[in-house]
Amino acid sequence: MAALAATACAGGGDSDEVAGGSATADAPAESDPSDQAAEPAEPDAAPPLGSADVPVEVTLAPADEEPVAGGTMRFAIEADVDGLNPTASSLSAPGQLMGGAVFDTLAAFDVDGVAVPYLAQSFTPSDDLRSWTVALRPGITFHDGTPLNAAAVVASFEAQRASPLVGLAVRPLFPDDGAVAMVDELTVQFNLTDPHRHFPTYVTGQLGMVASPAWLAAAAADPALNQQPVGTGPFRFDSRTEDSVTRFVRNDAWWNGEVYLDALEFYPVADPDTATDLLFGGEIDGLHTTNAGSIVRLVDDDEIQSILDDRGEESFIMMNTSVPPFDDLRARQALAWATPRAQYDQLIGLDVLRQATQRFTPESPYHDPALVQIGDDPARAATLAAEYCAERGADVNDVTGAPVCSGDRIVIQYQYAGPSVAGTRIADLMVAGWSDAFEVTVTEVFQDDLIQNAALGAYNTVMWRQFGAIDPAADGIWLTCRTIGPVSLNWPRYCDEERDALLLLAQAEADPDVRADLYRQVEARINDAATYVFLQHTMWDVALAPVVRDVCGRTSPDGIALDCVGNGVVWFDRAWLAG
Amino acid sequence: MGRVVRRTGFAIILLLTVSALTFGAMNLLGDPLFNILGPAAADTTPAGVERIEAARAEYHLDDPLPVRYLRWLGDLVQGDLGVQFSSAGQPPVADLVVERLPRTAVLLVLAQLMATVIAIPWALLAAPRVDSWFDRLSTVSTFLVVALPNFALGVLLKYVFAIRLGWFPQTYTADAPLPDRFHQLLLPALTIALPAAAVYQRLLRDDLVSTLQEEFILMARSKGLSRARILFRHALRPSLFSFVTVFGLTTGALIGGSLVVENIFRIPGLGSAIVEAVVREDFPVVLAIVVVVASVFIVVNFVVDAVYAVIDPRIRR
Amino acid sequence: MTSTDTGTVTVTEVGASTPDPGTRLGRLFWVSVAWIVIVTVAAALAPWLPIDDPDAIGGDSGLDTALTAPSWNAWFGTDTLARDVFARTVHGARVSLVVGLVAIVLGLAVGGTLGILAGYVRGAFDRVVTFLFVVLLSFPSLVLAILITSLLDRGLVTIAVTLGVLGIAPVGRVARSATIQYAERDFVRAARMIGSSHRRIIVRELLPNVAAPMGSLALLGMALAIVAEGGLAFLGLSVSEGSTWGKLILDGSQTQTLTDAPWVAFAPIAMLFMTVLALNLAGDRLRRLGDVRTSAI
Repeated sequence: MAALAATACAGGGDSDEVAGGSATADAPAESDPSDQAAEPAEPDAAPPLGSADVPVEVTLAPADEEPVAGGTMRFAIEADVDGLNPTASSLSAPGQLMGGAVFDTLAAFDVDGVAVPYLAQSFTPSDDLRSWTVALRPGITFHDGTPLNAAAVVASFEAQRASPLVGLAVRPLFPDDGAVAMVDELTVQFNLTDPHRHFPTYVTGQLGMVASPAWLAAAAADPALNQQPVGTGPFRFDSRTEDSVTRFVRNDAWWNGEVYLDALEFYPVADPDTATDLLFGGEIDGLHTTNAGSIVRLVDDDEIQSILDDRGEESFIMMNTSVPPFDDLRARQALAWATPRAQYDQLIGLDVLRQATQRFTPESPYHDPALVQIGDDPARAATLAAEYCAERGADVNDVTGAPVCSGDRIVIQYQYAGPSVAGTRIADLMVAGWSDAFEVTVTEVFQDDLIQNAALGAYNTVMWRQFGAIDPAADGIWLTCRTIGPVSLNWPRYCDEERDALLLLAQAEADPDVRADLYRQVEARINDAATYVFLQHTMWDVALAPVVRDVCGRTSPDGIALDCVGNGVVWFDRAWLAG
Repeated sequence: MGRVVRRTGFAIILLLTVSALTFGAMNLLGDPLFNILGPAAADTTPAGVERIEAARAEYHLDDPLPVRYLRWLGDLVQGDLGVQFSSAGQPPVADLVVERLPRTAVLLVLAQLMATVIAIPWALLAAPRVDSWFDRLSTVSTFLVVALPNFALGVLLKYVFAIRLGWFPQTYTADAPLPDRFHQLLLPALTIALPAAAVYQRLLRDDLVSTLQEEFILMARSKGLSRARILFRHALRPSLFSFVTVFGLTTGALIGGSLVVENIFRIPGLGSAIVEAVVREDFPVVLAIVVVVASVFIVVNFVVDAVYAVIDPRIRR
Repeated sequence: MTSTDTGTVTVTEVGASTPDPGTRLGRLFWVSVAWIVIVTVAAALAPWLPIDDPDAIGGDSGLDTALTAPSWNAWFGTDTLARDVFARTVHGARVSLVVGLVAIVLGLAVGGTLGILAGYVRGAFDRVVTFLFVVLLSFPSLVLAILITSLLDRGLVTIAVTLGVLGIAPVGRVARSATIQYAERDFVRAARMIGSSHRRIIVRELLPNVAAPMGSLALLGMALAIVAEGGLAFLGLSVSEGSTWGKLILDGSQTQTLTDAPWVAFAPIAMLFMTVLALNLAGDRLRRLGDVRTSAI
């Protein structure tokens, strides 16, 4: 209750007194009033890039030409992946991108954000919404000739559930026994722990990829095969040199139409500036990046086609509520108030990215314009910290092993993924902003270790990027009390029973308006808990050479136009190269 | 013959010590289970505990350290370097080494070639003209180059030749055609080669200067042999003697330097592999790379020792 | 500004003063020493000097823009977070110099002691120590540094100690051979004959003589340690807190920053370069002074 009062009060004063931020001061002048008219005014929405007031901005060449077959598409991915087995490796954006070439998912999002049947023919829920019957399309085979049938779907599902890593996200949703059953040759039944009206959204990404059971069995025996995926997708695996190039060739017998490209090649190029230069120089035909500097250069170019999308992940500071000091709301709010959000926008986001106040962008039906992300007020943070220290100063921070306070300042550890120059810059910026209220030890850890520490609760605060599933049902797993344990997916380890109840109601709800209202209530509770300090909506730019056509021409076999981009992932099944 | 046996024996003992030390050190890092299983290593559910036990058994993690070292050594002798703990599916370490080693090797060989090609004519030009303007300028330049650390030199070369002039690409593409890759390696190789060349030049020049004052040179000169002939046939050969020793010793330093240079120019060689493995605490990979690098270093010095015997008549006789 | 001028002098003077038998150390030596002193004093007093706060985003003097070119307000320009590059470079010297100093003191203390003892005692102890040196030298130094930093943490002390460990073998070898050389000399034999204790012989007779070559080695070693820290920084393995020259150069060497604002990398490169050059020159002069062969010619 105290939380609610504090936030409400905070909201009142925030819009007028922005600490030291010349950038935010002139922000309203730059934003386009015509597009914003329909929306209630955003107190702290930064001006988005170009005219990207819409969630996805597409500057693609007109698609009235007749497709031409042939050619090789060369695409730069931001990093290589350690394996392409969707049942063994947790696939990042580059992994999903390459996986999307070789695997098909059971369902896919249409342009309105609704999950529709794709590799599956239909999804039918039971009356209690606890079990879903999935019917497969007949006559589809994997690249190795194995038929796609119920047994194959079950094999992929069970392999994912058994995987130590991938299984973490699967196991909480299903009972230990009887999670999946074969009904007949082409029908599978999934049984969930809780009623769920939007189950198909789960199988639009990695969890929906179906791999050849013969290959899965072989890969279990010979790990080298994890690099040579076999699916039903528009492209067949051809060759792969780790950290260098992964090549796929056309699947002439694809079940969902003609594929035009002869081959697809993926090159890991870690430095976004280099990737951009390669695209300008015609060395590659496409890239994806979240680097603000590169996006500015790519969008400024008239020839290059850009697909901009910031509906996906948000960047935020995350706090661990299972360890002092952030088990106390005042400490969490102090960190939020101290966070230099305006400077972050200007110096890290280069005023290109939109500031985030919550998990949803303003265009989303789930967005709540009334929510305010507190920040940019170090004086207020210092007052809160002093108040906290006066009362709890004797507690011990289990992460640092030292008392939670030193004088009036709270002592915390901040972890970020490295080695990374960008990460170091963000750390410097945060530490400088927090310094009035916090004494910060900065620890740079490898990405894997950061995730591990977050899962094990061995952190005070971290820089994080997450959320932004097209359907919020899929993000529930990161919020529910059920995923708190020795290994938590609820990283802040913050349990709110009422929030869980709202999430369960929302995932069983059919009426979109009621559902949106339920998610707005969830969002308000997230805001009250102050476990996250939202910074920005991550923007992905999928940039393509002038000759690339129809990347956004995807359709389901039932003729439904599909969403063509999500979190840096695009699909090439309809793409072709002009001239 | 005795000399070769003794040197070989010493090299093997050295390798055993280096590998045992590294093995012990990496094991102090903590439980490798986390590398194999990730966060699931803390899973306390019955299924989780079962997975943990299975992994412990599979990788013999409960055996005492010396037993594990001997097992690792036994596998190594049979050409098995173990598996990469932190990669999905635990692929063999050998795959990684086979993929990365050639890139680092090519870079180093190219750098050493460049250094030699620069240093020898440079020294030959400077030595006969002691204290001339050229010689003085050479000495000053070597001092300046040596004082510029490889990463700073790399950044400067990248700025001038890759960013401003655009003569060279800024990065390396492992699958590009051979001539392209050669082109991509020139700048990083030059970064490694320049300081080495400065060291070689200084050494060769000093050595040549003193050789040129020796009696047999004076005699050759009195016989009326041409200056060039004296330099190449009579002076250079004895001077190469110390050059070869330093060449061998420098190889070790250059391996360290190449790790940094690979990082600047983003060449996916052994350098990036070991840094990543160390940070990930993937100790089979670290061990393998340390052993490979130390072996190369020891073998190079072994070969240098042999070449030494060929070049220096005093040892040959 | 004066400091930069001194640096230029250093560069142009090199050619002019090749070994001059008349002056013992030469002007160049003193110019180098002066530079080292200036940098050290500036680093030590950095928090009290009238310069910007190196960590203040936007700087104290209200530079609110990132990547501005060098100007009167910001002598070396500003970096990506609109911090004053000059202030950061001066402050960066603190950690770099401390790392170099601690490293070489450790190298001298451990390596020197082991080397002198090995050279004096000889026998089995000598063989063990020599083998230890060879083992240490068999790891390429940077690989060894990576190993140690990963074993421990990345605090200032750890990094300094690590780089000190790298110095043990090279210092030890020099100390050992110098000791062997002197142990055979008459004055040591005489001391032994009159029954001086081993401790007395080592401290009173050997140490003063071995100290000369080790002094020059100390300066060269400090330069090496400072450079090695930069190498670690480029691998992302340098000290986790505070800025060093290596970390500053790394920050400025990112393609976009290097293209738009080369001064962010070039300023710390210049400081590092001149400091290493000064240490090398001073060390080289000291070595020549102590070098018997050179003086004989």
